[in-house]
Amino acid sequence: MKHKSQKLLEQTLSRRFIFLSLLKGVVIGSISWRLFDLQMIENQKYEKLSDDNQFNYHIIPPERGRILDRQMRLLAGNMDGFSLVLIWNKEQDVDQIIRRISNVIKINKRDIKNFYVQLKNKRNNFPQEILITKNLSQKDVSKLAVRNIEFPEIRFSMSKKRVYPQGIIAGHITGYTGAFSKLDKIHGETATFSGINIGKRGLEKFFDTQLRGKFGRKRNEVTSRGHIVDSQVYEDTKPGKDIQTSLDMRLQAFALERLEKGNYDLISVQNYKIKEQLKNKHDLTLANDKYVYIDKNRKVVYPQTGSIIVMDIENGEILCCVSSPGFNPNIFSNDLDLDQWTKIKNNSKAPLLNRSMSGVYPPGSTIKMAVALAGLESGIIDYKTKFFCEGFKEFGTSNFHCWAKNGHGNLNLMQAIEQSCDVYFYEMGTKIGIDRIALMMKKLGLGEIYDIEIDDSSKGVVPNIEWKLKRDGINWTLGETLNASIGQGYILTTPLQLVTMTSRIANGKYSISPTLIKTHSNKSFKNLNINQEHLKFVRRSMEEVIVGEKGTAKNYKIGTKNIEMAGKTGTVQVVRISELEREKGLIKNEDRPWKKRDHALFVGYAPVSKPKYAISVVVEHGGSGSTVAAPIARDIFKNLFRL
Amino acid sequence: MNFKQNKFATDSLLKIFFLKALKINWLIVFCTIFLGIIGVGALYSAAGGSWDPWAKKHLIRFLSGLILMFIIIFLPTKLFYKFSFLFFITCLIFLIFVKFFGVGNIQRWISFGVINFQPSELMKLGLILVLAKYFDNLSRIQLDKLFPYIIPFILIFLPGFIVISQPDLGTGLTIILLGLAILFYVGISLKFVLFCFFVLICSIPLIWQQLYEYQKNRILVFLNPEIDSLGSGYQIIQSKIAIGSGGTFGKGYLLGSQSRLNYLPEKHTDFIFTLISEEFGFIGSMSIILIFSVLIISIFKVSFKIESFFSKILVFGIGFLFFLYLTLNIGMVCGLLPVVGAPLPLISYGGTSLFTVLIAIGIVLNINLRENRI
Repeated sequence: MKHKSQKLLEQTLSRRFIFLSLLKGVVIGSISWRLFDLQMIENQKYEKLSDDNQFNYHIIPPERGRILDRQMRLLAGNMDGFSLVLIWNKEQDVDQIIRRISNVIKINKRDIKNFYVQLKNKRNNFPQEILITKNLSQKDVSKLAVRNIEFPEIRFSMSKKRVYPQGIIAGHITGYTGAFSKLDKIHGETATFSGINIGKRGLEKFFDTQLRGKFGRKRNEVTSRGHIVDSQVYEDTKPGKDIQTSLDMRLQAFALERLEKGNYDLISVQNYKIKEQLKNKHDLTLANDKYVYIDKNRKVVYPQTGSIIVMDIENGEILCCVSSPGFNPNIFSNDLDLDQWTKIKNNSKAPLLNRSMSGVYPPGSTIKMAVALAGLESGIIDYKTKFFCEGFKEFGTSNFHCWAKNGHGNLNLMQAIEQSCDVYFYEMGTKIGIDRIALMMKKLGLGEIYDIEIDDSSKGVVPNIEWKLKRDGINWTLGETLNASIGQGYILTTPLQLVTMTSRIANGKYSISPTLIKTHSNKSFKNLNINQEHLKFVRRSMEEVIVGEKGTAKNYKIGTKNIEMAGKTGTVQVVRISELEREKGLIKNEDRPWKKRDHALFVGYAPVSKPKYAISVVVEHGGSGSTVAAPIARDIFKNLFRL
Repeated sequence: MNFKQNKFATDSLLKIFFLKALKINWLIVFCTIFLGIIGVGALYSAAGGSWDPWAKKHLIRFLSGLILMFIIIFLPTKLFYKFSFLFFITCLIFLIFVKFFGVGNIQRWISFGVINFQPSELMKLGLILVLAKYFDNLSRIQLDKLFPYIIPFILIFLPGFIVISQPDLGTGLTIILLGLAILFYVGISLKFVLFCFFVLICSIPLIWQQLYEYQKNRILVFLNPEIDSLGSGYQIIQSKIAIGSGGTFGKGYLLGSQSRLNYLPEKHTDFIFTLISEEFGFIGSMSIILIFSVLIISIFKVSFKIESFFSKILVFGIGFLFFLYLTLNIGMVCGLLPVVGAPLPLISYGGTSLFTVLIAIGIVLNINLRENRI
């Protein structure tokens, strides 16, 4: 028989037993729910976190495509570069290691600064690789490699460096590459690789995606201590495509030197008198730094600046596109430092400006073919229309002068073009009106941005009545038409537009537009839609400029039986000449300050018998088109036809 | 009759043994063996697919522990009753000894030549034994009063605080919670329980001051693991990542990236459950909990059926010890409880806790066998 208290105890025991069991059930239930929550509901979040732990993605940059000229000569390629990497761990005395390395090879200060920034910003304290420098020469590598035992904590890695073997010669065309800072925009993951370059200018920029190829990814499996357990290529790289340009580097190099030379003489920098003078010359940019140019007084002068473009009139391929002064794109591959950059940027001659496409100049007399064509097409004048030039045209209160002080007398259109008579064009311009002239200019490609493979082209200005009204809110005046008729005033063109205009005149059938890429198939162009007879007449007139007795460029014939050039000179006034100055007598071009000298222009084509190439030459503040620009064009053609 | 009895008595020992063996609670045995095998497998994976350094040792210990367990099954139950106080005192002496002559900078281990062991683990068993004996000796009426509970309180808190001061918060808390649960079970006044609860809450600031710096940190980090994501919060964060990334079916045996790449801390001891969760997913972790639940329920069933008060409390205590092990460990690894250091019985690497658990199961099976016979 059980005692009463015994019964009571049993009752308590079972009650408490049940209570505790319930408690246990609740606890185990909540733990199960927690697991369900972690593993089933929030699974994806934790899976991602686990992946982030496990893998480390690295971008593998593809080999950038090359840029070649029409003969497959290299304009831009890749060279093996060596980087120095520190295998860092907590126990190292970093300063001491850097000091020891500096004793063996020279590391530039910027790299060391960058290295310390990286060291400071590293994400954790696990052993890892930190880049010391990317600019290691073959010599440095062997110096360090010999002392391998002294530096167990460093490693070399190979990388590709962009090189431009042609240097300054085609800098404006190839452009350059530079480091891309926000890589995570291209790829989802945060990239730990810092050596990826993208095109920043020129063809490098325009064809960046083709040249760049496809990035690959390497996936490293890393332990919690940062050791790489496994490394595999996650996505393959695809090397970039090569770009074959239409340039002919032989011609390009020749053109650049010819342009820089102008009518000056070459002299070696070794000459001690020259050395003296060079000390005071800043911002001197030369294609070849062993020689400088001197004028007739044996004073060192800056090389001529300007542009030369040679274009194939059948397919628009540009064989040579020179802008002087230029810059050497290689300096951008070596991690351009600030000093170098400010030096280039602040250079008074603006070497970064691509004068061929972004420089705008008044076309001067080179526009006269367009004005003549506008007159002929409108039917207002014909081949026989004659005007009388007495050296100036009175208009309102002021006189509009011809370049020939004493006038050309009575002449027809062909003679007017041959002798570049301004008065004839004043008379003609007033008759046709600015709108017709502007229309013809646009037809010939002025005031237009072409689909050329370099982005920063200028549009230039082709003024007409509407344009003036829109810009200034003032009506067009007839005096402005007179100025426009001789390519002065508002009108502005780029050298590329001038060569395109010349190509269209020389081609006669199609509206050729320029390209820098070698075209392998026949490109189709729109019809030019100008009367063939008129074009033939204008071309005849351009021939007269060279071969005619009174031609403005008669001194610069190519002079062979088969090949002769045709063209038009242009001398562009940069500052207005006042009536007073004119009476005193004009100051000779050479005696004016450089900035106030005339631009010398020449446009032309060759051979006359069967036009093939068009050219435009612009020499900034070079003087007269006939004595400075025309001989350059002749020499270029001579070189081109290997005469 | 005599003859018969004699015959029965001389009936081959083997037959008696088999008859007894049949009556063993085989469910508990199977659960134990199963968990042990899971432990060996998990440790094999923790070493990156290698028997060394943990899996082989664990297997050997487990097998020898099993033998010990079977020996205990066939010992007379009286023995536990007789030696319970002695066992408790021995454990206590060891604890104090460890406090002064312990191995390592954290004084948990005692060293006998090649064998190192943690007296604090054995203390859990010692406490259950001594409490069971104490309450068994009390008259039923006395249990309703408060006075007789004073000695048990000393028996609980003395070793509890020694262990906490080792410092080992996890084991210490386990000891205290275990003791309190037994007091509650035998019928301590509910009013008193509520009073104690109140006092405990009020004394939290006092306790906080007594805690070691690292223990404070652990609790702070538990409340917000992001405080120190590379330091003490790292364990909780990485453990949660491992469990969560396991998903439904897990990453596959030996394929857990968190454990393989060493992101998991203590993956072979306290955090072994994380490894299983990562490699076998929700299915795997629930299976572990299920097997443990079956084991715990079976033990409680034994306790419920037994008449003897001593055995009842003893088995209940062991069942509750299992429950505490399980919840503290899993609660800790999945971020529900602070990281206090509690092994997962039978699966975690560690000899003393393995032997303690196997001895405890042996005692349960022993009592189950005797009581069945009665």
